[in-house]
Amino acid sequence: MSTEHLLNTQSYLDGELSGAEAAEAERHLQTCEECQAFATGAAELSDALRRAPRYTAPAQLRAAVLARLDKEPVAFSRRSFWIGAGSGAGLSALAAGFAFLALLPPSIATLTQSVADVHAQALVSGKTIMVASSNHHTVKPWLAAHAGLSPPVTDFAAEGFKLTGGRVDEVAGRPAAVMVYAHGNHEVDLFAWPDRGADLPGTGMAHGFRVAFWKAGDLDFAAVSDMDQAAFQKFVALAKAQRE
Amino acid sequence: MDDRRRRFEAQALPHLDAAYNLARWLSRSPTDADDIVQDAMLRAFRAFDGFRGGDAKAWLLTIVRNCWLSAGSASRRRGHTELDEGLADAGPDPEESAIQAGHQRRLNAMIARLPDDFREVLILREIEDMSYREIAGVTGVPMGTVMSRLARARALLREFAQESVKEGS
Repeated sequence: MSTEHLLNTQSYLDGELSGAEAAEAERHLQTCEECQAFATGAAELSDALRRAPRYTAPAQLRAAVLARLDKEPVAFSRRSFWIGAGSGAGLSALAAGFAFLALLPPSIATLTQSVADVHAQALVSGKTIMVASSNHHTVKPWLAAHAGLSPPVTDFAAEGFKLTGGRVDEVAGRPAAVMVYAHGNHEVDLFAWPDRGADLPGTGMAHGFRVAFWKAGDLDFAAVSDMDQAAFQKFVALAKAQRE
Repeated sequence: MDDRRRRFEAQALPHLDAAYNLARWLSRSPTDADDIVQDAMLRAFRAFDGFRGGDAKAWLLTIVRNCWLSAGSASRRRGHTELDEGLADAGPDPEESAIQAGHQRRLNAMIARLPDDFREVLILREIEDMSYREIAGVTGVPMGTVMSRLARARALLREFAQESVKEGS
């Protein structure tokens, strides 16, 4: 019995495995007493917790929340502008709206936060990758077509950072190309957007993610990940050194 | 009502109970949970322009957790005594409800003994029914860490339950 087996059994019980992996875990569970004991304990706990009544928000809390929202200023919503601009008309309408928003640059202070937010939301929604490929010949043209940007795309698998794909995202209301890398269990997002001469923040942390910025060619870059400091620095050095 | 407020009420507000439930389990105090949720809903509303669709519940719970962390250190030092008030009403049979309530109190006390890191992954998995990936997103740790914390939380609860049987309590 190993920790690895136990974690695998747990993943199986939590419904995280499917197909051959699930069948393999089921086979192991048939023969491993320790995993069986774990499964029994976990099932009892799960039953008890699921029978337990949930805490529900008291009515006065709901009222207090609504009252505080009432006091919030009614803001011009950039987001709803985007939804309006994007719906039905597609990418060309977005591009047209983009020129207008370029007049409203995000402040340096919020950029670290924004990039970390976008990364966190992609992880939470499970939508980090729109084009899945470790081949830069696939990812690069996809980004060119969908983000209108051609950042260098390099697979750093030999150095421990495997290119897993790319997506188009929005940083502070502007489209950005994102190259997605895997480093063990960690994900790294490498953002690129057109340099408009704005200053970039220094390396920092937001929501527990490390964020680094730099300029190269006519693009601004940002790397975001929850990797440790040493691995993050290594990745940033590699990304900075890449050429077209 | 402006459009943003309308969308917030349609997408985020339905998860107020989930937000409160998580805040209660994490903070173990009705007063703290109240403060955390008010703070979280306000922060969520202000950040709502940045929410790009997807899972509004996971997004909101991430904010609740962050509010708990930033409010947390003070109340954690203070300690907690208000463990059991405010659970939704138990079933109709008074006798069965009493037994159920006794079990529930013991279970709550055991969960309260878990270290914060372990308790939050357990609550998100078992009470909020989130996947490992969603939990990783909310807590900001890698999936491997979610898995090992979850296993540790379950093993600890088993130990607590065995202790409680031995003590005959």
